[in-house]
Amino acid sequence: MIELAEVYKGFTVRDRKTRQKKRIEAVRGVSFSVHPGEIYGLLGPNGAGKSTTLRLIAGLMQAERGLIRVGGFDAGREPEAARACVGYLSGDLNVYGRFTPREFLRLFGQFQGMQARVAEGRALALLERLGLLDFMDVRMEGFSTGQKQKVSVARALLHDPRVVVFDEPTTGLDVLTAKTVLDLLRELRAEGRAVIVSTHVMPMVEDICDRVGILFDGVLYGDAPLDQLLAARHARNLDEVFFQLAGEA
Amino acid sequence: MNGALLVCKKEFLELSKDRRTVFFTFLLPLVLYPLLFAMVGGLSRTDEANRQGRASRVVLVDPGGVLTSALKAEPESFELVAPPAGDLRQAIRDQRLEMKIQVEADAPLKLSRHRTFTVTAACDPSEEASGLALTRLRKILEKQNRRWVEERLRLAGVSPELDRPSRLETQEMGDLGLKVGRTLGAFLPYLLMLMMFAGSMQHGIYATAGEKERGTLLSLLSTRLPRHQIIWGKLLYVFAVGLLSAFINLLSMGVSIGSVVRAGAEGQAMSAGSLADLARPSTLGLTFLLMAPLGLLFANFIVMMGIRARNSVEAGTSIMPGMVVVLVMAVFSMAPGLEKLAFLPYVPILNVSLAIRKLFSQQGNAFEFWVALLMTLGLAAVMTWLSTRLLNRETSVFTV
Ligand SMILES: Nc1ncnc2c1ncn2[C@@H]1O[C@H](COP(=O)(O)OP(=O)(O)O)[C@@H](O)[C@H]1O
Ligand SMILES: [Mg+2]
Repeated sequence: MIELAEVYKGFTVRDRKTRQKKRIEAVRGVSFSVHPGEIYGLLGPNGAGKSTTLRLIAGLMQAERGLIRVGGFDAGREPEAARACVGYLSGDLNVYGRFTPREFLRLFGQFQGMQARVAEGRALALLERLGLLDFMDVRMEGFSTGQKQKVSVARALLHDPRVVVFDEPTTGLDVLTAKTVLDLLRELRAEGRAVIVSTHVMPMVEDICDRVGILFDGVLYGDAPLDQLLAARHARNLDEVFFQLAGEA
Repeated sequence: MNGALLVCKKEFLELSKDRRTVFFTFLLPLVLYPLLFAMVGGLSRTDEANRQGRASRVVLVDPGGVLTSALKAEPESFELVAPPAGDLRQAIRDQRLEMKIQVEADAPLKLSRHRTFTVTAACDPSEEASGLALTRLRKILEKQNRRWVEERLRLAGVSPELDRPSRLETQEMGDLGLKVGRTLGAFLPYLLMLMMFAGSMQHGIYATAGEKERGTLLSLLSTRLPRHQIIWGKLLYVFAVGLLSAFINLLSMGVSIGSVVRAGAEGQAMSAGSLADLARPSTLGLTFLLMAPLGLLFANFIVMMGIRARNSVEAGTSIMPGMVVVLVMAVFSMAPGLEKLAFLPYVPILNVSLAIRKLFSQQGNAFEFWVALLMTLGLAAVMTWLSTRLLNRETSVFTV
């Protein structure tokens, strides 16, 4: 469902002081795959390249080298078709504040090629599942981070995507909201979707991920269930693995 | 294309949710011009009323009765009042009367002997009303003198025009309406352009750099809509907002000028005919036709700067110079005699304002109009091509 083979992505940035160009290799030769009915955890500290990898999968960016296939489409050649089968949640925790969830979701349903009525029905079901139905017609400006994230989750899943790409879906959320989101991810797995989430914290990975890959400085280490990965590195938790990798670098 | 329309619809929906912005962008111009014109009209009317004033109250001492009938014949200028009880000087100062006119007692005798008699006017020229009374007296005395001279000449059996070999007669060719049109024409185009630019600038920034800043752009980009359609949608939106505000400004302008013309037709101040030409649908329509491609040009500039910026402040600082250029051109273009420069019809943006200026002063030049229109249209097309190419890059959307 998701396949990455030797994927490279870098950025050219300009140093504001020296005015010289600098290359940042954000993703370096990453390969892995995620199958239907599986939750894959992409772990790594800040700046490891997790968001970049997920953006490549979601068709927001183009890889410089390598192959990415999503839902059977080549994300490089047919980014729109690939995007159509991906439900992407960015780590931004933001929504269009001037809209109510109903207006917002109806509009995004239309962006995804759905009928407004169909989109609204599906939005209703999703918000009910997320426990936000009471706020369906309230402007989102005053929403809490948790409420915003729930609306964003509904937006990502609105068009019934076969591939679910969530960038740090629980970061910044309280335990209750985080649990709601994690439970939903389990349901998505049970429905046979391919799910990939990124995180830099342990608990979520232990809870739900079937397999994990650790990204460090753009390079992927391991591609196995978490306990196997920890055992191989003789580490008790994720933090220790990060410290080890930082020491090796 | 459908996607672009959807994005444009989303922007308009978002805009409509912000009542205050809607008010300031679209409703304010609607009341701005009528207010502006009403104020100018009101000012000139009160000024006029003040100047004309009522009749001057004068005390006339005219034992021989040589001037009495002449003064009485103009009741709108002179009101004869009884001599004040106290000091005359004080009475004038207290504004109880404006002037005392004293005619020599033997004026009838002197008049009949063809000698000069004296009229003494006691007044205070530092008092505006008193000064006006003096002016009126001068006028009426001149008229009366003329009559007496003609009478004497006739009695002497010579032509009454003996002492008047020639006479100057001026014919007013220009008219007030045209003059007002020219004055308005000099700055209204720039007011229009500025309103269009300013109107679309804020919304353009909100829809581009603002989306980045608020962290909503990624969700938009993650839909199945192709990136270029999103850019087109934003462009369409900024363009439409600019056009809409130009349209509203023009409409409001036309209606207010129209009402001034109607008010003027009743009074005497405005010669209605040529001012009415300003409010004519064809003048406004041609102006709008010129504004449209200019709006597209502006929209491209705004969207290009807005999408490439990292946040609203940065977008604002990069778009502002564009506005400054328009402003500088405004100051430059208001210089008198500028319209005679031969190369001017070929300077972009400036030629649009020049063409509008000529439309407003009824010196419309079809050739210059078309040059301005086609040039701006071409420029807008090139700019659209350029901006979509430039913006449809990953690096433009993902700036950090
Ligand atoms: N659009 C971009 N332009 C330049 N550099 C970027 C861009 N996006 C990410 N980077 C850089 O790439 C590296 C990886 O970033 P990211 O994928 O966001 O890491 P993570 O999500 O794991 O924290 C970082 O050094 C970041 O600064
Ligand atoms: Mg990240």
